[in-house]
Amino acid sequence: MSATTATSPRSDSAVDRRRKPLPVFGKVFSDTWRSLAGWAAGLAAVIFLYLPLFPSIGGSDQMQQLINSMPPQLVHALNYDQIGTGAGYTQSTLFGLMGFLLTSIAAVGWGAGAIGGDEESGQLELTLAHSVTRTQVALERFLALVVKLLILATLVFVLVAALNGPAQLQLDTANLLGCCLLFAGLSLLSGTAALLAGASTGRRIWGVGVGAAVAVLGYVFNAVGNQSPDVEWLHRLSPYYWAYGNNPMNSGANPLAVVALFGLAVLMGALTAMVLRRRDVGV
Amino acid sequence: MTAPAIEAVDLYKTFGHSTALDGVSFSVAPGTVFGMIGPNGAGKTTTMRILLDIIRPSSGRARVLDTDARNAGPALRRRIGYLPGDLILQGRISGRRLLTQYVDISGPVRPGRIDELAERLRVDLDRPVRKLSKGNKQKLGIIQAFMHEPALLVLDEPTSGLDPLMRQEFLAMVKESKAAGQCVFLSSHVISEIQQAADEVAILRNGRIVRVATVEDLRGTAVRHLRLRVAGTGAGDLRSRLQTLPGLDNLKITDDDGRGAAASATLAGAIAPILAALAVLPLTDLVLEEPDLEESVLSLYTAPNSEEQS
Repeated sequence: MSATTATSPRSDSAVDRRRKPLPVFGKVFSDTWRSLAGWAAGLAAVIFLYLPLFPSIGGSDQMQQLINSMPPQLVHALNYDQIGTGAGYTQSTLFGLMGFLLTSIAAVGWGAGAIGGDEESGQLELTLAHSVTRTQVALERFLALVVKLLILATLVFVLVAALNGPAQLQLDTANLLGCCLLFAGLSLLSGTAALLAGASTGRRIWGVGVGAAVAVLGYVFNAVGNQSPDVEWLHRLSPYYWAYGNNPMNSGANPLAVVALFGLAVLMGALTAMVLRRRDVGV
Repeated sequence: MTAPAIEAVDLYKTFGHSTALDGVSFSVAPGTVFGMIGPNGAGKTTTMRILLDIIRPSSGRARVLDTDARNAGPALRRRIGYLPGDLILQGRISGRRLLTQYVDISGPVRPGRIDELAERLRVDLDRPVRKLSKGNKQKLGIIQAFMHEPALLVLDEPTSGLDPLMRQEFLAMVKESKAAGQCVFLSSHVISEIQQAADEVAILRNGRIVRVATVEDLRGTAVRHLRLRVAGTGAGDLRSRLQTLPGLDNLKITDDDGRGAAASATLAGAIAPILAALAVLPLTDLVLEEPDLEESVLSLYTAPNSEEQS
């Protein structure tokens, strides 16, 4: 009906901007690099605070006496049994406690925000209205979570390896590497649980709740399971125990645990994509 | 005969116990501007989200650009520009960076196109998005919808937050898009905008389309206000002449200090017979106002729907 000579809205003269590969993945990094840098700084601070103290704390007789005088339940709960060696000290203070706490919080926050938070804020709707598939959005955001946690784990590996000599830790590099992998896998599991719960409900708070539950219950089941043979079965339910139950800094990472942690995370990542595909977004 | 740009057939959507869409069907011809108006909660946003496959209808189907909207995939959405009703943009990044991110997941964008649009809408692309006012964020939203010159624009309340000058600029952009062969589907509760921009209008109420009409049709059935003044005729005489005319209502006659009389009335229907009847009067003044679409549409909003039981 229009009398004007209509030019095609998608004329051939339009020059295609080179589309970036994995655009959704890339956007995650430009949106959250500050947060990544913040958590990296936090982890570095923990490493530089704890590890150099080993010669005067963990390795000292006085500390060993203190540990011996503590109730054994408390020692088991804190995984402080092996605090006298560099490997045990690094395991219980860094990987088992402060590092675990920090990366779990980071992973749950990222996981819950990646889809649930994005949907809640109304921005996911606009992203999905563009030329992307929901599967692509879910998987690229899952991949971004994996990469961010691997970056943190790499940082931990590099810093701990660097402090190995100066702090007289006498760590085995292969064990450290394996432990860092478990460290990443353990936080990834809670992070992916948060991603899945956020994507299922479209609410950030559900992601945070479920992700935190996975992390906290894993820790609690391990601590309670340590107390007596009667409740040892709780270990089976504890990703924390799968990862750290055999003292990987001493005895090397259990490959089965690595596969279990990353395998479950990948499974939940795939579930996230399936769930998101089926849902109404932003209602 | 080309396929319609949008074809919705019997769309139903329920959320829990509430019905958002109660059998919505309409069709939009390619290269036209189609407006959807209705009060808040009528189902405008739900309809648009179904077209973009953001939500799925409980039953019914929608075809967009000759493709089934459900699970259509990225190829279809590349040919659509969408502006959500409650647009939320945040973050420290600049408007330019944000738009570049959308370019990466959008159709191909001509170089310089973003700056062109930004200049036109007068938005500073170098400011961080979160520092922008609501209106300026809305402009970014409009840019991301228009930038890849899509075959179909789906715009939910596009002028919300814009000042009157920018509204006019936006309406000009809609007209140009139409001239370029693009199809525009927009919603609003501001009837005057739809009236300016749209070829056809669907009026939505409680999840149903009450009426689909061209703006001309709507105008034809709309009520006009008529005012006139005559010299040398008394009020009584004027009343007797006007009273019998068809389509004239709400007649008010005032005596003009013995020099004549003035009348005001509303007029529905054809104009020609009225004008013929008025031509014989000694008129000193005659004002026939442009029909007020708002008035006629509001009557549709509020008219009780006969099919509806409480």
